[in-house]
Amino acid sequence: MRRQGPPSEIARLAAPVARVLDWAWQRMHWWVALMVVLYMFSGLTVVRSDEVAVVLRWGRLVGETPALQEHGPGLFFAFPKPIDQVVRVQVRHVWEVPVTTLTINAATYDPNDPANAKSINPTAHGYALTGDDNIVHVSMVARYRIREPAQWAFYGPKSEDVLRAEVTAAMMRSLGEMGVDRVLAEGRKDLIAIATKRAQAGLDDAHSGLELSSLELTRLSPPLSLATEFDAVQSAYIGAETKKKDAQGYAESVIPQAQGEADAAVQAAHGEASSGLATAKGEADAFHALDKEYRANPGVVRERLYRDAVEKALGGSRQVRWVPPPTGRSYNGFRITVRQGAATPSAVAATDDEAQ
Amino acid sequence: MGYSLDSLDSIDSLRVQKWLRGIVGSLALLAIVFSATGVVVREGEAVLITRFGRPLRAATQPGLHWKLPFPIDRATLLDMRRRVYETGHTEMLTRDKKNMIARTFVVWRIGDPIVFIQSIGAESAAEGKLDGLLTNAAIGTLGSHDLSAMVSTNPADLQVDQIESELLSSTAPLAMRSYGVAIDQIRLERIALPEENTAAVFDQMRAERRQFAAKFDAEGEREASRVRSEADLEAAKIRAQGSEEQARIRGESAAQIAKTYADAHRIDPELYRFTRSLDSIDKLVNSNTSLILRTDTEPFSLLESKGKR
Repeated sequence: MRRQGPPSEIARLAAPVARVLDWAWQRMHWWVALMVVLYMFSGLTVVRSDEVAVVLRWGRLVGETPALQEHGPGLFFAFPKPIDQVVRVQVRHVWEVPVTTLTINAATYDPNDPANAKSINPTAHGYALTGDDNIVHVSMVARYRIREPAQWAFYGPKSEDVLRAEVTAAMMRSLGEMGVDRVLAEGRKDLIAIATKRAQAGLDDAHSGLELSSLELTRLSPPLSLATEFDAVQSAYIGAETKKKDAQGYAESVIPQAQGEADAAVQAAHGEASSGLATAKGEADAFHALDKEYRANPGVVRERLYRDAVEKALGGSRQVRWVPPPTGRSYNGFRITVRQGAATPSAVAATDDEAQ
Repeated sequence: MGYSLDSLDSIDSLRVQKWLRGIVGSLALLAIVFSATGVVVREGEAVLITRFGRPLRAATQPGLHWKLPFPIDRATLLDMRRRVYETGHTEMLTRDKKNMIARTFVVWRIGDPIVFIQSIGAESAAEGKLDGLLTNAAIGTLGSHDLSAMVSTNPADLQVDQIESELLSSTAPLAMRSYGVAIDQIRLERIALPEENTAAVFDQMRAERRQFAAKFDAEGEREASRVRSEADLEAAKIRAQGSEEQARIRGESAAQIAKTYADAHRIDPELYRFTRSLDSIDKLVNSNTSLILRTDTEPFSLLESKGKR
């Protein structure tokens, strides 16, 4: 290893470097051992909390079933390359993809362009046809996660493309079998449910290994240029409902009112009846009492009653005139005149020449 | 050994060193041989082995495969994963002579690496071939169905599943045979109308909306007046029942009162007549009454007879 001969200037200067190299070279076995150890441990992998790891040994997937293939979070020991290859997949993360294939392209759509009010270019702007041949725009947000990591990593298509395509196809088809009024109102939930189910079936069919965890409609509307017509129907509907409600309110007030009136009338009749009966009973009792007295002393009672009545009548009347009893059996030349203009026969002038 | 800095410098260490060198050397040789002859085929990949440029075989099963070293055999890596291809928008005519625009997408993968490489070569070129194949199939298949097979509120009309399977069966065998492409799925991604036709749809939608608005207005009006008149009728019925009840109670009470009086007066009709007469006088005379009495009316007759005497 070392050259013989007189030490040159270069050799003298290089001596410390050569000494270090020599030292390192002599311990080469240690370096090799260290490298071998490092290589042996190069298969050690940390699987993070939202991941699972699958292992390829000589390129082949290890494990027969998904449960045996997937390794959860933690430290995972695999053989070094090229024997093993560890593929980590984020299975718990939920990704979000906006799906705008069935809605207008906002960048190129001018709502003030009169041509847009008349028609729509199907290649420039997305839309879907409903079952009753109406045009609607839908924009969606699809959320997905990886359900089968091995399938997704080694066999599935690139996730977002397949997701967008499957969701679009599923939504287009689901809209194509429902009427526009159902879709825009109470059928929205059904629509989402059906489309989600279809999209998932498509994703499974495409061996994507993905799970569509939710599908949200961020917009579902008729064409912009028809918005006023659709709003008019909506307000007509609300107006009709208001009218019905008003009528029901009227019914709810008028019937209890009538009931109340009827009850009051019956109640009043009951009141009248009982008070009338009470009066009648009172009078009957009074009559009994009077009768008792009368039987004991008919003349006196009769006289007293008669006088009381006459006194009361005289006291209560406005005017009392006296006329003598007729001579013979009838009055002659006796006249009663009632003054005109008076509200009541207020004055009586009696001239009785014959009598005088 | 004059530069020795370490006490491990011995004959023993030299032997270990030699042994290690031997191992390292043979390992390196093994690695070189392996890299030249071993082919690791991963899941989702395939390796096409060509001998002097002629395709020899395709290693599609994942695992370790062998080949002869370069330049005899060469290995070409192929991505066997599924891919999604969306066709362009194609205008076509349905069986019921309606213009429509359809777009499909296909999920495909390399089914036969040798045929694929020979007929298509690059993966990007596959899409052009697929587009042609799918467009033809779509024109043929959709031309034998009505538009209502895809868009209808009547479930009996809808035949999307059938259309999709027809598309698949008319393209998949051909794609496999001609291009080595396996088609897993074909779906209708969009069904639309040409721009000229959308104008008619807009007009029809407008007319339909107006009709609906008018219908709602009329229905609301009718329903409201029905509810009102029913309520009025009901109220009138209730009032009538009330009046009837009232009249009945009044009648009963009048009868009872009459009976009470009659029972009392039956005891002494003569006294009754007398008291009634007196009551009548009382009732007839009020503050507006003028009385004209004969001077011989009791008890004033007393005054008269006194005066005369």
